[in-house]
Amino acid sequence: MHGGRAQSRSTGLFLFLCAAMLLLAMVSQQSWAAGARGAAKSALAPAEGAMTSLGAQVDRVTSVFGDVSSLRADNQRLRAADEQLRRQIVELNAAAKENASLKQALNFQKASGHRMVAAQVIGRGPDSFSRTMQIDRGTGDGVQPGMVVATGAGLLGRVREAGPHAAIVQTLGDPQSRVNVYLSKSNLQGTVSGGTTSLGMEVQHTLGVSASNGEWALTSGVGGGYPRGFVVGEVASVTHRDASTSDEAQLAWVNDPQSITFVLVITDFLPS
Amino acid sequence: MRRVAGAALLVAAALAQSTWAPRFEVGGAFPNLVLLGVVGVTWTLGTRSGLVWACVGGLLLDLTASGPIGPHALALLPGVYLISFWIRNLEHPNALHVAVSAAVTTVLYSALLVLTDNLVGMPVPPLGVGAQLAFAAAVYNALLMPIGIELVRRLQSLVRSGPQPA
Repeated sequence: MHGGRAQSRSTGLFLFLCAAMLLLAMVSQQSWAAGARGAAKSALAPAEGAMTSLGAQVDRVTSVFGDVSSLRADNQRLRAADEQLRRQIVELNAAAKENASLKQALNFQKASGHRMVAAQVIGRGPDSFSRTMQIDRGTGDGVQPGMVVATGAGLLGRVREAGPHAAIVQTLGDPQSRVNVYLSKSNLQGTVSGGTTSLGMEVQHTLGVSASNGEWALTSGVGGGYPRGFVVGEVASVTHRDASTSDEAQLAWVNDPQSITFVLVITDFLPS
Repeated sequence: MRRVAGAALLVAAALAQSTWAPRFEVGGAFPNLVLLGVVGVTWTLGTRSGLVWACVGGLLLDLTASGPIGPHALALLPGVYLISFWIRNLEHPNALHVAVSAAVTTVLYSALLVLTDNLVGMPVPPLGVGAQLAFAAAVYNALLMPIGIELVRRLQSLVRSGPQPA
């Protein structure tokens, strides 16, 4: 009897909380609530930043034994330098190809660089379904939803939400992310989509030309979602499909989301 | 005192969830510390406490995730409610029951999170990818749950043995 009453009270509380949370989700999703939502999310950002720093310090302390720390730092520095050089080679090759036919049309300032804001990664999405990152720059620093986010190695993703002092970035690893790209050697066009382990690419067929391993995929600028020329990844494998109008390729992403600590938000480009 | 300790534990779990937990990713999934805490509280303190802490923990997760505030809290509640039937119909729960309940709660949480995200217009993963991630997370959480409930029990006994109000 008593157990039945207790269960009934729990059922009442469960239904009430479910209804309240559903209502809160629907209200907070409205565009007029975006400011308050961003402010609420920014409130946790300092604590997340502190936790991330604490994690980094713990990493440093635990790697004091032996030369693990210095080796890791060397490895990271060399890898960053290598990634930067590889990116420069790919971008220079791609730029040289384009220059031959489009030199007159190029606006030097547009091609030479973008305005950027550097941000620290302070958190990651709490569930496995959305591959997001939280950064410590927000609307107060000029960061707006839709802005493109990159690292020294290449394209990382796009700002999804921005609060006053923090923003959430949807990375290319998110299963819902889509980027139009072209391949550096074959010039084939395609679309890269996110995945749990690697990036997938749908490569459009062109008569007599096929994609090959080792080619670099760069943003094509088609659709206006991303600026042209950002490195996305290297073709790791290609599956030819004779019966289809496209081939399937797997890309090795130039960015490893687990090891990224700093990102660059491009503030002078918004998707059209 | 108990509430303060519980709130501190959940805030720490939510912050660790969005900062440290992704480092331990296996098969695309990583442990959900808030879910483990909520399941632990439900088994040790009862359904009503579990429901309240599921709401608080879920809202904290929502503050670290993209999209609206509420889906994580909503997704955690049915798992707790399901465990209430488990508790009522079980004389002597053991570690296996607790681990299985964590796995079932994870599957329910994942399914409801995707469903709620879809309902409010957020991007959701394809069905196959979602199922694979939910399964991996369920196994991960089930393996960690015995440690999680031990921690909750120890914290509970620490709070009980702490200074009592005059």
